Amino acid sequence: MTRVTQQTARIVFFLSAAVSAMAAALVFGFLLVFGFPLIGGGEFFSLLARPWSPGQGLYGFLPMITGTAAISFLSIVFALPLSLGTVCFMGGLGPARISRLVDGFVRFMTGIPTVIYGFLGIFLLVPVVRTLFTSAGSGMCILSASLMLSLLVSPTMIIFFKDGFDSVDVRYIQAADALGADSVQRLIYVILPEAWPGIVTGIIMGLGRAMGDTLIALMIAGNAVHVPGSILDSARTLTSHIALVSASDYDSLAFKSIFACGLTLYVLNAFAVIAVRRLGRKRGPVR
Amino acid sequence: MDNPVKIRVENLTFSYHQTPVFEHINLDFNAHAITAITGPSGRGKSTFLSLLNRLWESQPFAKMEGKVWILLDGQWVDIYGKTLSKPDLRRKVGMVFQTPNPLPMSIYKNMAFPLKLTGMTEKALVDAKITAALRQAFLWDEVKDRLHDSAFGLSGGQQQRLCIARALVSQPEILLLDEPTSSLDAGAASVIEDLLVRLKERCTLIVVSHYLDQVSRIADTALKLEARGFLPV
Ligand SMILES: Nc1ncnc2c1ncn2[C@@H]1O[C@H](COP(=O)(O)OP(=O)(O)O)[C@@H](O)[C@H]1O
Ligand SMILES: [Mg+2]
Repeated sequence: MTRVTQQTARIVFFLSAAVSAMAAALVFGFLLVFGFPLIGGGEFFSLLARPWSPGQGLYGFLPMITGTAAISFLSIVFALPLSLGTVCFMGGLGPARISRLVDGFVRFMTGIPTVIYGFLGIFLLVPVVRTLFTSAGSGMCILSASLMLSLLVSPTMIIFFKDGFDSVDVRYIQAADALGADSVQRLIYVILPEAWPGIVTGIIMGLGRAMGDTLIALMIAGNAVHVPGSILDSARTLTSHIALVSASDYDSLAFKSIFACGLTLYVLNAFAVIAVRRLGRKRGPVR
Repeated sequence: MDNPVKIRVENLTFSYHQTPVFEHINLDFNAHAITAITGPSGRGKSTFLSLLNRLWESQPFAKMEGKVWILLDGQWVDIYGKTLSKPDLRRKVGMVFQTPNPLPMSIYKNMAFPLKLTGMTEKALVDAKITAALRQAFLWDEVKDRLHDSAFGLSGGQQQRLCIARALVSQPEILLLDEPTSSLDAGAASVIEDLLVRLKERCTLIVVSHYLDQVSRIADTALKLEARGFLPV
């Protein structure tokens, strides 16, 4: 490449990076500007901790915060073994031909619209949960939503995990093979530790999708506005809340409070990303 | 040629994507000797070594016919048969590659790796085996004070000796070396040549080498891989 094209490429990439960083900052600023006056000086945290009861003038999101946290965390708990298992299968435990089929299927799954998952949830999963757990009431609960959500986020996680697996130096794999490692040992002792950064990224992306998804929780979590006491309780996520409130009116105090709701979601997501990064920091072997 | 035969290759045919690399090869290798294999690039020297520890099997579209026997405890064992598992075979038939390939771990953990695979956990025993193998590979004095440092901190020659030591820790009977000195300077190469000659008492060695002077220094038998198969040099 000539120097000029190299320079141009560098400028273009820098600009695109700058634009996406600006977009993120802009969204944050927007939420801050619109959400803050309503929250008032220093009352942000007390507002978060309050219940949602517009009739009494209470606009707290504590129920939605717990709803989002519970549903997204639980969906990752379900999706992690599923995704990791799938990637391990594709990464040498399973036969090559079937692995390619699975790979294609996973890529196909990323393209399925969320609403389809929601439908499947309503017609297949919710009745099952209702029959299995009598305390789940209608079956619309945290468990149903997070199970369905785990199906939604798994393909994303699998794709990032697989990237991590594929980036492992083949010489390490060859060394392990030649030293008599079987396929499971190769996976545990060589591939997984080396693919770790990809796994952490995959979890972060999965968590981001889970927290940001609106439709599945809206359709099958039940949307009750109280702090859930168990995973069989109905719950409302921050995203469903925003959708529900903004669909019903646009001029009330309740409506204005959803800016603060968005802000909360933004912050919650940032905290989750930081937490996963911290937990996933590689302490492992010296290199 | 007084040594008994250790490896017997019988009517071996091999191809990648239906392109034959070997056709109907018959060949014996003597025990406790160094057999050198030379020949032009791309003729199949590395492939041939991989047939002796079944490493080729991870390659797609590769196909082999024929038999490979090795003599273990007085018995001829078909390495593609059911009596010997692939991991066990690879502990009996160690391999060292063209570029040193330590794992991204400490020197100690590299050495302990093959033992960990067999489930050996007793620290005293593991340590003793590691020390012995490092001594056999002429490396002990250079690494004994830095066993828990990264293996990547070693020089190229030291890394290659670490890889030899790591193969030796499983007490292999056969050692395959694929151009083991081609990435090293002359000094480091000569240490490894001396080492290989010393290892004859423990193992049967097959060394792929480009360097004819190296072959004449260390080999008991030299074979040249030509288009039709192996020819004596
Ligand atoms: N995994 C593979 N798939 C297909 N062809 C291969 C593969 N590995 C090696 N070959 C081909 O087989 C021939 C022998 O390769 P190799 O054994 O590496 O030769 P050498 O070690 O003598 O240089 C070469 O023509 C090479 O291109
Ligand atoms: Mg080669």
